[in-house]
Amino acid sequence: MMKQGLHIPEEMLDRIDYILAHLAEKAHTDSIVLADISGQVISLQGIMDQGTPAVVAALAAGDVAAMAELSSRIGEQDPHGSFFHEGETKSIYLHNIAGSFILIVIFRSETPIGLVRLFAKRAVEQLLPITEEFEEIMGPPADYSPDDFRKGITQELDDTFMD
Amino acid sequence: MFINWKLREINLKIVYYGPSLSGKTSSLQYIHSRTRPDRRGELISLKTREDRTLYFDYMQFEMGEISGLKPRFNIYTVPGQVYYRGTRKLVLKGVDGIVFVADSQTKRLQDNVQAVKDLYEDLEELGFDPWDVPLILQCNKRDLPNIMPVHSIKESMGLNGVPAYESVAVDGAGVLDSLKNIINEVVAKARGKIYPSPA
Repeated sequence: MMKQGLHIPEEMLDRIDYILAHLAEKAHTDSIVLADISGQVISLQGIMDQGTPAVVAALAAGDVAAMAELSSRIGEQDPHGSFFHEGETKSIYLHNIAGSFILIVIFRSETPIGLVRLFAKRAVEQLLPITEEFEEIMGPPADYSPDDFRKGITQELDDTFMD
Repeated sequence: MFINWKLREINLKIVYYGPSLSGKTSSLQYIHSRTRPDRRGELISLKTREDRTLYFDYMQFEMGEISGLKPRFNIYTVPGQVYYRGTRKLVLKGVDGIVFVADSQTKRLQDNVQAVKDLYEDLEELGFDPWDVPLILQCNKRDLPNIMPVHSIKESMGLNGVPAYESVAVDGAGVLDSLKNIINEVVAKARGKIYPSPA
């Protein structure tokens, strides 16, 4: 049975941020989103409007899943590759990391794709061991109270919707 | 569920599942229209040329901080048409709770039964224990003639133990009740995941 749910420790996020920042600098990217395979945002590098990273991650997850399915239909044994969309002003490079995480790199179209590919590949190599560690290291901070959280939800539900 | 302790965010995924034209997209549109604008993201719909859901509809909303954590809910619908089964399965990846939107009309019973069968198969194939995923039944189109009683729908679908709610998604009646209830179920379940009971 697969493990459902991940808790990402701060130390691990720092390592991820470091790798993504390095990629952003070397490949001259606009923004980078690291998402899990179900489309939840793990980390963002660069600036996006509020809410945009979540939408980008959700759509990329759909794209990656469709591409993995397409690959397997033509007999590809390992459908965890990369693909990219070339736009007029901005392009998108997606990399499916071991079927667990998605690296989404957005860059200006004048930036050579080879440069992005090269540094994205290096970033993926560095991220790979981290994805393996993810489900092993868990633990909430000491000041977190799940009972208070559950009680607070009821009030917040009323505040969120305009009944 | 996805908890980012650095940003102190808890991300939860809720999927609206059900047969074609049962009211999944209408439910999401109503939820979006009734969510406070400062707490909701854009409503994204990937549609076919015939205006039917192709990949999914998607929206995110967040709540104020609770116990130091900011909850963010990612809400998806799946395409109901039979030939989009592959897409439905990918949307279910990482799901925390499911609202099954059933069409209450007697003539759609078989479609509801088939869809719930598909749902359980999809969950199993994804590695879930289907009985362990929070699920509620939203019996939609209660305003139409020739509808079945809710208890008969539950029984026919093998969902006797599942909480059921009535709705008219096009007007929004009952839609927020279903959503609030699945959120409560998901949060109750998440509590056990964060602090599991000692074996």
